[in-house]
Amino acid sequence: MLLVLSEDHKEHLSFLPKVDSAVVGEFGRIALEFLRRGTSPKIYEGAARKLSVPVETVQHGVEGLMFLMTESSKHMISEVDFLDSVLVLGFGEELNQILLQLYLQHHAQIRSILSQLPSNLPAYHNLEWRLDVQLASRPLRQQVVPMVTMRLLLVGGGAGGHSSRVLQTDPSSLLHLISTLEAALATMKSSHARRIFRNIK
Amino acid sequence: MLSISQLVDMQWKLGMAVSSDTCRSLNSPYVSLLLKIAEPSGQICQRSFEMTIPQFQNFHKQFKEMAAVME
Repeated sequence: MLLVLSEDHKEHLSFLPKVDSAVVGEFGRIALEFLRRGTSPKIYEGAARKLSVPVETVQHGVEGLMFLMTESSKHMISEVDFLDSVLVLGFGEELNQILLQLYLQHHAQIRSILSQLPSNLPAYHNLEWRLDVQLASRPLRQQVVPMVTMRLLLVGGGAGGHSSRVLQTDPSSLLHLISTLEAALATMKSSHARRIFRNIK
Repeated sequence: MLSISQLVDMQWKLGMAVSSDTCRSLNSPYVSLLLKIAEPSGQICQRSFEMTIPQFQNFHKQFKEMAAVME
């Protein structure tokens, strides 16, 4: 599959052949850091000063490079298709090879970062539990009631950070919960599920 | 009047923590309180929290002091 680059994108990338390969390599590194951790205007300003170009040009160059890498990684395009897609930019052979190497070395890592992006629901992080025996309450004294208190620790879910929920249950409800979850796990081994997983791979 | 929530109900429980995921053999009594609070909007929300016995004794002492001041 070939990537189709927009005119704006091509224009942003047109800055790359005007600098030497070491700088392109450096831009590649900045672009990958951008994916991992975001970016700061200081990085762009420093590079713009050294190259005597406006900050916007550097920013567009790095962002264009990052977009090229993420789109290529997203579709898992082959080496040949990558080179053909980049050919349309009219760069020299050396620059094309640098871009290809950047792609080949980092596409697995980029895919792993991209896979973590759409996390809308909070995800399981940890479950802490405690077995309690309730001995008395305001309406009733001299009790012996076993209770399980749990703290479900979650991560993500738009809030970004950690959240937790405290829950309480009696032992028989807990047993029911356990058997329901085990039944859910068991459906992964059903012939229907196996057929689907086989067909996806 | 400030628009502050009002305490509507307080339930308590006394329990003994027997075992947990970090410590299989506990012997730790605690008091848990469940407060029902009416927010200025009228909506009732619940807040619950736990105290160890020493914490509860301190809690109790605070209320005794409040009661003494009001006499």
